[in-house]
Amino acid sequence: MSSHREAPSISQDPVADNADTYAFVSPDDPTTVTIITNYVPLEGPPGGPNFFEFGDDVLYSIYIDNNGDALPEITYQFQFQTLYRNPNTFLYNTGPIGSLTDQNWNKRQFCTVSMVRSPHRQGLPGFAGSSVLGSGLACPPCNIGPRSTPNYDGLAATAVHHLPTGETVFTGQRNDGFFVDLGAIFDLGDIRPIQNLHLIPSPAAPSVDPLKTLNIHTIAIKIPISKLTRDGSVPKDPSKAVSVLGVWGGASRRKIQVRNGNGASSSQTGPWVQVSRLGNPLFNEVIVPIGDKDLWNALNPINDNQFEEYVNQPELARLLPVLYPGRFPHLAAYSKDRADLHAILLTGIPAGIVPGFQNFTGAKPADMLRLNVAIPPAKTPNALGVVGGDLAGYPNGRRVFDDVVSIELKAVAGATIPLVDASFTPDAAVGAVSSYLTPAADRYQSTFPYLGTPHDGFDTPSS
Amino acid sequence: MERLSRRSFVKIAGAATGAAALAAAPPVARAAVGGDEEHAEKINPTTGVPDQPLVAYVRDAKRGEVTVTAGFSEHTYRDRALVKRLLRAARKGE
Repeated sequence: MSSHREAPSISQDPVADNADTYAFVSPDDPTTVTIITNYVPLEGPPGGPNFFEFGDDVLYSIYIDNNGDALPEITYQFQFQTLYRNPNTFLYNTGPIGSLTDQNWNKRQFCTVSMVRSPHRQGLPGFAGSSVLGSGLACPPCNIGPRSTPNYDGLAATAVHHLPTGETVFTGQRNDGFFVDLGAIFDLGDIRPIQNLHLIPSPAAPSVDPLKTLNIHTIAIKIPISKLTRDGSVPKDPSKAVSVLGVWGGASRRKIQVRNGNGASSSQTGPWVQVSRLGNPLFNEVIVPIGDKDLWNALNPINDNQFEEYVNQPELARLLPVLYPGRFPHLAAYSKDRADLHAILLTGIPAGIVPGFQNFTGAKPADMLRLNVAIPPAKTPNALGVVGGDLAGYPNGRRVFDDVVSIELKAVAGATIPLVDASFTPDAAVGAVSSYLTPAADRYQSTFPYLGTPHDGFDTPSS
Repeated sequence: MERLSRRSFVKIAGAATGAAALAAAPPVARAAVGGDEEHAEKINPTTGVPDQPLVAYVRDAKRGEVTVTAGFSEHTYRDRALVKRLLRAARKGE
């Protein structure tokens, strides 16, 4: 998956597991950028009585690099506090929840948002460069069912908070917009419906999307572009370096945890230690080998030169010709370093490769989403993004509906090599490499926070 | 101790938490926070560990390195005598 349970350690710590990061020019407010980081992957909607929530002991961060140095000039931090109205009941709610202040809602969570404008000092609360933008911002409840959360969309709408500093924030449960045939892809790289071509073939059958009934916890923030660019401008020229922002998300925990053994919550001390991060989808999942995945999560993009070899010679590109015998002869014979993937994932695409587009941040290799904010939202978006001729989509940032599985599978399979090496002809099978999924329209919404209404636990899964 | 004398470390540790928790290995021994090793007294705390405990752990016994975390900071010191006492206290608790 994009980054759901992608590394050994973080797969044991869902509330800190950054599953997806998105960054795009807001389609309904193009003077702003929306950045989303999702946590708690694979939420089964009926998962009560302690429904899913953020970790009170986790520091969630969104990092923005606006000068191409692979370090954050701006960091938004999110911390949570859970409060109970009545600790003497086992119930999450004691009646229908009609509002965010409803007395029937027992277990509630609130968010504090801070911003750190700091050259390369990553987020210590109380650090002089940190300012609290909003506190006590209510998260909506989880979507439980028609008795408990009868007007969920109305509830969630009141959890969209407009901060006096110009940002808009939402933190809470949403529909997981990411889609992939998970069961197939991790069954030795099978791709339904072309499993008849696999090394271990089976009859062709339609692709399956197991995420279509699962929820996620979303941290979404909409920020005026002028607050993010290095010179405070709202760029209009895509060719200018100032137009490109590097974006990634991360989660950190305190270094030491002491379990008190008395039923009270544990104590923490020490500096924050990063346990999860995510820039480009699937980077740690598919590019980085299992022995280095935990290390990758602990490091920052500035350190990514040590992972360059995995991008230059990706394991998946060597596996495809083996898993689909005879289908990828050109890819199998290609032994050069993958300059195309290096550009897409680690430096951004320089000017002159794709007409009218660049998101190059410099030669320093760093895994970040790179968003050219001077490219306006597409009137008719294509989920294949730049590969599909839509310059407003991945790898120009990432929108919630972008088919990143298809885009990256095609790229790894050789579709993008000709951009940097005219001598290479992609194999015909590249056209058959795809997610083969079209998510339902209600996975998304046209307004902030852009991910759709979470599935309710009463109706999902259905009988 | 390279960064800080052991005496001043112990002083700061005590001031930081009131009852410093030196957790090279449980149980907490008073000897580890000062006083005479020979008169160390094993105690069972009757109060909870402070919200933000001060924790010292032996990072590398052979090199005499001990790491101290308090609040949001962490520092590593070289203090062979302190490490020796922590190890001795740990053995006593076994």
